[in-house]
Amino acid sequence: MASPSSSLALISTSTLISQGAEAKVYKAHLSAAPSDPPVLLKHRFRKGYRHPTLDASLTRGRVAGEARALLKCLRAGVNVPGIRMVDAAEGVLAIDWITGNSVRKLLPGGADEDEDTGEDEDESEADAADALQEYDISVDVLMQLIGQEIAKMHLADVIHGDLTTSNMMLRHPASFTSRHPTLRTELVLIDFGLSYHSNLVEDKAVDLYVLERAFSSTHPDSEPLFASVLKAYEQRLGKEWAAIGRRLDEVRLRGRKRSMVG
Amino acid sequence: MPGRVRKDPLRKPDRPYLALGLEGSANKFGAGVIKHFEDGSTAVLSNIRHTYITPPGEGFQPRDTALHHREWALKVINDCLTKADVSMHDLDCICYTKGPGMGAPLQSVALVARTLSLLFNKPLVGVNHCVGHIEMGREITGAQNPVVLYVSGGNTQVIAYSRQCYRIFGETLDIAIGNCLDRFARVINLSNDPAPGYNIEQEAKKGKRLLALPYTTKGMDVSFSGILTSVEAYTFDKRFRANGQPQNSNDEDIITPADLCFSLQETIYAMLVEITERAMAHIGSKEVLIVGGVGSNERLQEMMGIMAQERGGKVFATDERFCIDNGIMIAQAGLLSFRMGFETPLSESTCTQRFRTDEVHVAWRA
Amino acid sequence: MMQSYQLPQFPPDFSCVHAALYIDVSDADLLRKRLITASTAEGLTGARERDAVNFAFIEARLITSADHLRTAIYQAVLAAAQGGLRTKTVHSEIIWALNPTNNITEAMRRYGVSDTTSALVVVRIAGPELLPASVEADMDAVVTGTKASFAALHDLTDWPAVKKYYKLGNEAGIRDAKDDPEREHAVVDHIVVSSVAMKSVMA
Repeated sequence: MASPSSSLALISTSTLISQGAEAKVYKAHLSAAPSDPPVLLKHRFRKGYRHPTLDASLTRGRVAGEARALLKCLRAGVNVPGIRMVDAAEGVLAIDWITGNSVRKLLPGGADEDEDTGEDEDESEADAADALQEYDISVDVLMQLIGQEIAKMHLADVIHGDLTTSNMMLRHPASFTSRHPTLRTELVLIDFGLSYHSNLVEDKAVDLYVLERAFSSTHPDSEPLFASVLKAYEQRLGKEWAAIGRRLDEVRLRGRKRSMVG
Repeated sequence: MPGRVRKDPLRKPDRPYLALGLEGSANKFGAGVIKHFEDGSTAVLSNIRHTYITPPGEGFQPRDTALHHREWALKVINDCLTKADVSMHDLDCICYTKGPGMGAPLQSVALVARTLSLLFNKPLVGVNHCVGHIEMGREITGAQNPVVLYVSGGNTQVIAYSRQCYRIFGETLDIAIGNCLDRFARVINLSNDPAPGYNIEQEAKKGKRLLALPYTTKGMDVSFSGILTSVEAYTFDKRFRANGQPQNSNDEDIITPADLCFSLQETIYAMLVEITERAMAHIGSKEVLIVGGVGSNERLQEMMGIMAQERGGKVFATDERFCIDNGIMIAQAGLLSFRMGFETPLSESTCTQRFRTDEVHVAWRA
Repeated sequence: MMQSYQLPQFPPDFSCVHAALYIDVSDADLLRKRLITASTAEGLTGARERDAVNFAFIEARLITSADHLRTAIYQAVLAAAQGGLRTKTVHSEIIWALNPTNNITEAMRRYGVSDTTSALVVVRIAGPELLPASVEADMDAVVTGTKASFAALHDLTDWPAVKKYYKLGNEAGIRDAKDDPEREHAVVDHIVVSSVAMKSVMA
């Protein structure tokens, strides 16, 4: 009595937000109940080049992997979107819809998606400053939040695999009730599509290095920014920091890749 | 980046240029002559290659391969000049593979290049083998700014051009794809003639059963060593029939060498297409260029084609003349950098087994 | 006070959800006996009796929020629509989805109706031909209690039991919130909802 996929039916009535190499992302409502909050649907669509059997098992495994990483983070107190629905057979994952902005957009240099929007630099920096004001948060506190969340995630042995300022969001104060004494927002890590479980110092160091590179390629004068991310990370991590910090220095020297044999 | 068109620093030549390219980083010795015309066009005057083929079950050893290259070098170069109808005196430069590759074969070819350079008083240009593949691929296919998948016996890389450098976005974390194929061909005793990968491809066409193998992509990187171990393990499975035939009429649940070739190809090529697609999405390119010996595999080209089509893009591939290691690609990349004023002084005309694609200053592109 | 909503993406037979919360339930032991009898009764009477109790009866003190309930309902309906039920009916599947383990008996014992149940969530998955008023009347006919708003769920929740079943006692996320019960409950609810949503791939 298997029927045409309900998840595909759901997608057909949802709004496409973005399309990546792996998945299409939609804004959707799981039910027609008026009180139902929106969710973010991530559909790992079928890849025509892959053998169907292989494609199905990979898709299933990846949806499961992403969901497990999210749950692991939730249990460890890392701010990530909650899971709302899993349809592994169809490659669909639904998570909480986060109202807010990506950190990328809130920092100087990140507002212009590609380099040639013709926007002049000062203007976009002013925009970024305005945007942060809306969230009632300073750049320095924002960097601390980033460091703390990554530290909590690494303490849970979850490696994000794709840390960039695009994969972090600040909740908009208007749509979020903060229980924090001074903050009106919250930093949320998103997109665990490339995440995996590991307790290796190397993997954590590379995770940080990837973020450092993302900072330097997206945001001008990012060095002090990333330095305060690391400082907060170090504080939260405690004694585990020494080994990771040392390894991060090594990774910086050799780059993410190992030396190549002919 | 889209929208921003900078002019290539490479000017059109004031006269025609000629270059000889010599390649021998693995088991092929190749020589080719290329010509760059005043109007910016290019002609392949000749492109000759001789391959060192070992018996089934055996790989090529560095020492024997170097011996092969020394034996064949003069004959191949002579043929190449005759075919091109040019004399050594007409050349502007002699280009040779500086690396990466196997030490002994690289050295024997560098020696030939140095000798010719001294004999005929021609400048030398040391060329990165991978950059040779990329530049020849661009020249032949006309691809403008593609993501490049470079797949061969020694290399597996996803590359894209950025600021005068061929940046490596993803690569193998252990063995190269061609190495994985070659070693598996030895396990099931396939012929090395014309190439182990070619014979795996033919065998795979007869395979029906997709067996589970590890599928290991990590971001834009891949790993093949676990797959090689797993596919080998199937040859010890009690369902494995080395001759590909059931033992009797009830013998239905069997695994054949063809099934293994099929499963191996489906798995590793899917991994490569996946990381290529990720790189394309990352840099916003719709073109993909496949280079390197494994690039002549039709199933890989087909899968890449489907991916590109689903993205509204296009795949560029060359045939075995340019895909498989050859001298002309060394001549092409060498001549480009020679025209930008680059030469390799005799004292520095060494070769190196390790030479990353991203170490090369791509002076001829904007 | 019964809530009804549609899941238009599912086949008609599973597209309507009706749910109500009953508090001050006085005859849970009788209801439980009735369910057992109905499941084994034969003939026309048996069929009629099964029809009368064709609901999911859920222990309300283990439900952390309306989201929690909704999520379990969704995953159960999804399994039914895909022909992938692990239990007999879509109603028992909801109860199975609420429990973190794969043990069906355990799920029924914990999340189903028991002799001591005093607050019940009653759910019916149906097609559009069944009118809400008629469903509500059928619910009222089997349960003796007072209907309440789902907002009342929060005060009924037995947080220690939820934490125990979901093994949340020692998690960093809960420890961080322990000084603020409201916040702790929100964290527990968040984890529980996510766990229910991903149970099919928990492995």
